Amino acid sequence: MPGFDFSNYNRNAALHAQGVPLPKATSTGTTIVGCIFDGGVVIAADTRATSGPIVADKNCEKLHYIAPQIWCAGAGTAADTEFTTAIISSNLELHALSTGRKPRVVTCMTMLKQHLFRYQGHIGAYLVVAGVDPTGVGLYTVHAHGSTDKLPYVTMGSGSLAAMAVFETQWKQKMTREDAVKLASDAIQAGIFNDLGSGSNVDVCVITEEKATLMRNYITPNQREVKQRGYKFKRGTTAVLNEKIITREEISKYVTLHELSSDDDVVVVEKMDIDA
Amino acid sequence: MASLFSSNPTLASNPSYLFSQAPHNLAAGNKEHGFYPYTDNGGSTLGITGNDFAIIAGDTRSTSGYSINTRYSPKVFRIGGDDETGEGAHIILSVVGYAADGTALKERLNAIVKMYKYQHGKKMTVKACAQRLATILYGKRFFPYYVTAILGGLDEDGKGALYSYDPVGSYEREQCRAAGAAASLIMPFLDNQVNFKNQYLPGTGVGHDLQARQTEPLPLHEVEQLVRDAFTSATERHIEVGDGLQMFVVTKGGIEEKYFPLKRD
Amino acid sequence: MDSLVTTYSRPAFEDEGYSSDEQQELIQAKPSLSLKFALPPMRNPSAFLRALTDDHANPNCPIKLAHGTTTLAFRFQGGIIVATDSRASAGDWIASQTVKKVIEINNCLLGTMAGGAADCQYWLAYLGMQCRLHELRHKRRISVAAASKILSNLVYSYKGMGLSMGTMCAGVTPQEGPALYYIDSEGTRLAGNLFCVGSGQTFAYGVLDAEYHYNLTEEEALELGSRSILAATHRDAFSGGFINLYHVKEDGWVKHGFRDTNPIFWKTKLEKGEFSNVTANL
Repeated sequence: MPGFDFSNYNRNAALHAQGVPLPKATSTGTTIVGCIFDGGVVIAADTRATSGPIVADKNCEKLHYIAPQIWCAGAGTAADTEFTTAIISSNLELHALSTGRKPRVVTCMTMLKQHLFRYQGHIGAYLVVAGVDPTGVGLYTVHAHGSTDKLPYVTMGSGSLAAMAVFETQWKQKMTREDAVKLASDAIQAGIFNDLGSGSNVDVCVITEEKATLMRNYITPNQREVKQRGYKFKRGTTAVLNEKIITREEISKYVTLHELSSDDDVVVVEKMDIDA
Repeated sequence: MASLFSSNPTLASNPSYLFSQAPHNLAAGNKEHGFYPYTDNGGSTLGITGNDFAIIAGDTRSTSGYSINTRYSPKVFRIGGDDETGEGAHIILSVVGYAADGTALKERLNAIVKMYKYQHGKKMTVKACAQRLATILYGKRFFPYYVTAILGGLDEDGKGALYSYDPVGSYEREQCRAAGAAASLIMPFLDNQVNFKNQYLPGTGVGHDLQARQTEPLPLHEVEQLVRDAFTSATERHIEVGDGLQMFVVTKGGIEEKYFPLKRD
Repeated sequence: MDSLVTTYSRPAFEDEGYSSDEQQELIQAKPSLSLKFALPPMRNPSAFLRALTDDHANPNCPIKLAHGTTTLAFRFQGGIIVATDSRASAGDWIASQTVKKVIEINNCLLGTMAGGAADCQYWLAYLGMQCRLHELRHKRRISVAAASKILSNLVYSYKGMGLSMGTMCAGVTPQEGPALYYIDSEGTRLAGNLFCVGSGQTFAYGVLDAEYHYNLTEEEALELGSRSILAATHRDAFSGGFINLYHVKEDGWVKHGFRDTNPIFWKTKLEKGEFSNVTANL
């Protein structure tokens, strides 16, 4: 049968009435914001990813590319924001190619809400969509269940209240680009310092009629402190019961070995962020 | 989104079910409301002893859920001082868990240690105080203090003494102990750096003959560094730890308090 | 005048005995302290306590108490061997690796800890106090039977409140000789030759039952006690740390060390060829 399955609806209502709590919306900590200004829109995000009370990533990227002039800030389940934005980005590209026009922010927002509504909130993506298209500036929020808002300044995530407090006191109509970037990053910092789910750095993306500028780690107010002591162990500190050395001759029976003459030949595929 | 669901008018006003167990009011007149007297206020504490000193440290952040209640709420206290500043105290206590229970416990122990001094004309030994604290905690065996306590001071021989507790008063004298939210992050570090667990002496043998590194009491300045590093690391990776590090050092000269700022994000 | 004297003076012996209240207190197994245990203001305090602290029924319970153990004790021709591990766990967290699970009640009586660490520590200390009071009152040492009964009556009076303990009382007295009792918080009290208690009990029984007989020499008995705990620490995740070994003899108990399991394990494996399931070879 097509359509939704409501067979558990009455059961859940009855259980709830008996005091069984509704499934708790997992609030994965984040602060994301967006705000429009005269001639464009700016979105910003913190860079902390948590699993429970543990910081899983101190410098993750929560600003996602959708189209050259449409970007998206994501809160909620990390994998869901990542894949949802990627799918919509892909579909929007195909859409732009087949229509021969620049993609519009409303289109992106509509595709996102239709996708999310279909999954009834099981895809835990909470997004701020922003961009500039031929119709002008666009700024929306999309909730995991599919509802959307269109507002001049928006916040989402566990730090949304802290960030909104900043917007509600300082936002003005027709701000300059500089003021908007300052306001958005201040809002994110309010989340970073007052919400435990948010932390580390501020990422900002400014989108104008001409181009989008991603400013990764625009502010880094939480640099790691230098340790008091060194923790280098002498070689041989760890007990080894047994060791086995696989020689080049042995391994070359199974794989082909290439000789690298100097360091210049080494190809760095991707550089990793490592603490000093 | 939960609010959207439950404010659904058809659901709230007219639940379409008919269960025998549907909410019926309890027969007797008394209605018992949900009773959940505990909150976890997060944070972490740690204690290390040396030959002639004991250190107890704790961060100063107090949280509930994703919010910070305050950035300065001490978890380590002087016990048995002459006035509210704690001057003249010789024992230190740290409590982590539910802050209200922690405060109640500290006040109670403080009163007892003072009364002991007034009644007996001498200071309570750390050993006696440790046993007394266990009895206090066990007195609430059926309605526990939701706290993990660490007690420190100098024993009768002037050696550093540290006692750690579970919420209902089982206790043990130890060299070092971490408690609270980041205990699982700090304790393995302490095992390795204080008790030299999993450290062997290079070149003392091959395979099973390799000699394990023996523990030795660490000097005060090294322990202080370890404590600071433990907390800066815990602050990096645990969201409930941060803001400030408060450290109490007991030596025969008295109790010294130190404060270092920690990251506030 | 005589009547006045009798009214205001008391016979000389009156101060020597106990008042009826004191007499009552002395024969009561339950301490007066028990009335002062704080209870939550609810109709069903034990259900409340269970919901908060029983990590077996509810792994997400907020207050985790120390648990988990292997302890054993057995009687043989040379006395009683008492052996324990030293691990305390709270949920899946190892709270301590250095717990003293043998409690020295007095120089002839030992108690072992399994179950709630605080329950065992507190009530065995209380038992020690009662034993000493018995000694002072009766001018002779308490029998193991009587001591164990004080404990079992005590925990029975708290039945259903959520105490959790499985303990053994081992001791020697002139009238009983070496005596061994098992007491748990359900109210069980058993005299016997051999007991293993705790989450690792089955593993310890496996080794102990196979090798046990009454005529073991002292050296054999100590080795068997140690080896049984080692087997339990090897297979039970909630047991480990150090092996705590005691021997109860006619003139009191003797401690035979608090030794790290890891080197003992490798020694047992390499020198005796046991634990062939473990290999360091690549």
